[in-house]
Amino acid sequence: MFKRLFSSVQTGSKYSSAYKNYLKLDNGKIGSYMHDIPIEYDQTSGLLNVVVEIPRWTNAKFEISRSLEANPITQDQKNGQLRFVHNLYPNHGFPFNYGAIPQTWEDYTQPSKFVSAYKGDNDPLDIIEVGSKVLEVGQVVRVKVLGSLALIDEGELDWKIITINTEDYHASDVNDIYDIYHVLPGMLENTREWFKNYKKPEGKPSNVFAFNGEFKNHEDTMKVIEECHKNWKALIEGKVTGAKAPKVTNATLEETPGFTSFDEQKLLVKTDAKDEEIPQEVNRLYFFNN
Amino acid sequence: MSYSTRQIGAANTLENRVFIEKDGQVVSPFHDIPLYADESKKVLNMVVEVPRWTNAKLEISKEEKLNPILQDTKKGKLRFVRNCFPHHGYIHNYGAFPQTWEDPNVTHPETKAKGDNDPLDVCEIGERSYTGQVKQVKVLGVMALLDEGETDWKVIVIDINDPLAPKLNDIEDVEKHMPGLLRATNEWFRIYKIPDGKPENQFAFSGECKNKKYAEEVIQECREAWEKLIFGKTSPGEIDLTNTTLQSTPSFSPSATSAVPTASPAAPAKIDQSIDKWFYISGSA
Repeated sequence: MFKRLFSSVQTGSKYSSAYKNYLKLDNGKIGSYMHDIPIEYDQTSGLLNVVVEIPRWTNAKFEISRSLEANPITQDQKNGQLRFVHNLYPNHGFPFNYGAIPQTWEDYTQPSKFVSAYKGDNDPLDIIEVGSKVLEVGQVVRVKVLGSLALIDEGELDWKIITINTEDYHASDVNDIYDIYHVLPGMLENTREWFKNYKKPEGKPSNVFAFNGEFKNHEDTMKVIEECHKNWKALIEGKVTGAKAPKVTNATLEETPGFTSFDEQKLLVKTDAKDEEIPQEVNRLYFFNN
Repeated sequence: MSYSTRQIGAANTLENRVFIEKDGQVVSPFHDIPLYADESKKVLNMVVEVPRWTNAKLEISKEEKLNPILQDTKKGKLRFVRNCFPHHGYIHNYGAFPQTWEDPNVTHPETKAKGDNDPLDVCEIGERSYTGQVKQVKVLGVMALLDEGETDWKVIVIDINDPLAPKLNDIEDVEKHMPGLLRATNEWFRIYKIPDGKPENQFAFSGECKNKKYAEEVIQECREAWEKLIFGKTSPGEIDLTNTTLQSTPSFSPSATSAVPTASPAAPAKIDQSIDKWFYISGSA
């Protein structure tokens, strides 16, 4: 399926602030998860490549770093504390594999073309993958786009693109958002409820959605992806300037101003570190039913 | 109370056994561990078999000497429960009360079904645990599952050291502080065997969860049934009654501990990826 083979290389202990998971290209060099994996999207079939950040049933909030050289996956921090999502009963951690679409960007400098009251959250587009296999941090997977949900997260537009692994048991049974209601009953309702509530345990209010929380279908969603891919192109070509914009250095896009060769010696400090223990309170259950 | 575990072999293998030790001596989790940790305060001991969010169907062996915890098998293959969306594995810390038995010779007057020949099952609804942990718990209620025609009581309890424990004293407190938990429990036990091709399970009492007082009566009945068993008044069938602490019982055998292999803990064997599969049981979510 892929013209290139991707893998991951880790430095620092997992569940510590030193943890960094870098993309490794097939030539053995370090690349950027945000820029160096080609999106390879097929408008008609809706297939494209994604990067997994958070495996299903886990709590650690891993994400592609905007600000670090080569955009490694790190664990998000808030007020100096590593972030873990809470268990929203009956869910265990994230109830789906979660990740990002490479070579996309939700532009935070201008209003969205689709939800004009909001600007983007300055990250690559988020995906949820609804298949049965538990995927790994940093894994590059080919998925089929089914639909999307437009979350408004603390005032920023934060699309959740709904996808399924092309190698899943049900991949050939679902082609559009409506198929999920029949083939994976309860999945969409649970997903919306989960995003609505997931910050409540931190004392924050419920999240809200654009379009009254309606799921967008495959066709509309492909337009969103195309738009965010265009935004990324402008970013990588140096046409967007913003102090907070993601780092654009990359190892494969020779025509771009950020093209470089990452210094492996400098980035990979400690590659054999053991996982830190996950704090006991991460196991707690939170109840927001009814 | 200083219980610990003696692990033989890697988890998720046919060889794996988890024995319970007290001060280095192997004890039976079925017979030796006292049901009450503190009877005056109504604190009970519970033995955890399956930790929340895991799939391996671990249970106290009735037949093996000193009743280690091992993984159930079917046709020589290890058994795992399936994931019924949106649940992950078992939804509680699941285990049993020591010194209890659901007598298969006795038909319960209200459920009209016979016991399932196992120690009384317990669902501990607090935070995470591990296989072989002996928890101190308080009783909150009970559900009467009818599992393939047998009464299979599920006693709902909470660890006395859980942060929520002070607020939970009877079944109505569970709905108040953990809204949706009892409904999810009811649903889970009804559907959990459907992915294996079995019919939906039924509950007695229209699925209602009985209160603490009713649960205490069930526990008392099962304790009496176990007493008859351990003192030889009921035929044990294939149940091994060997114990290392109950001097007045015919099956008392302190030397049995020396026949148990020394600990040989190993990292858990990898579970096949197919066990991660979601099952969507239509209409249940």
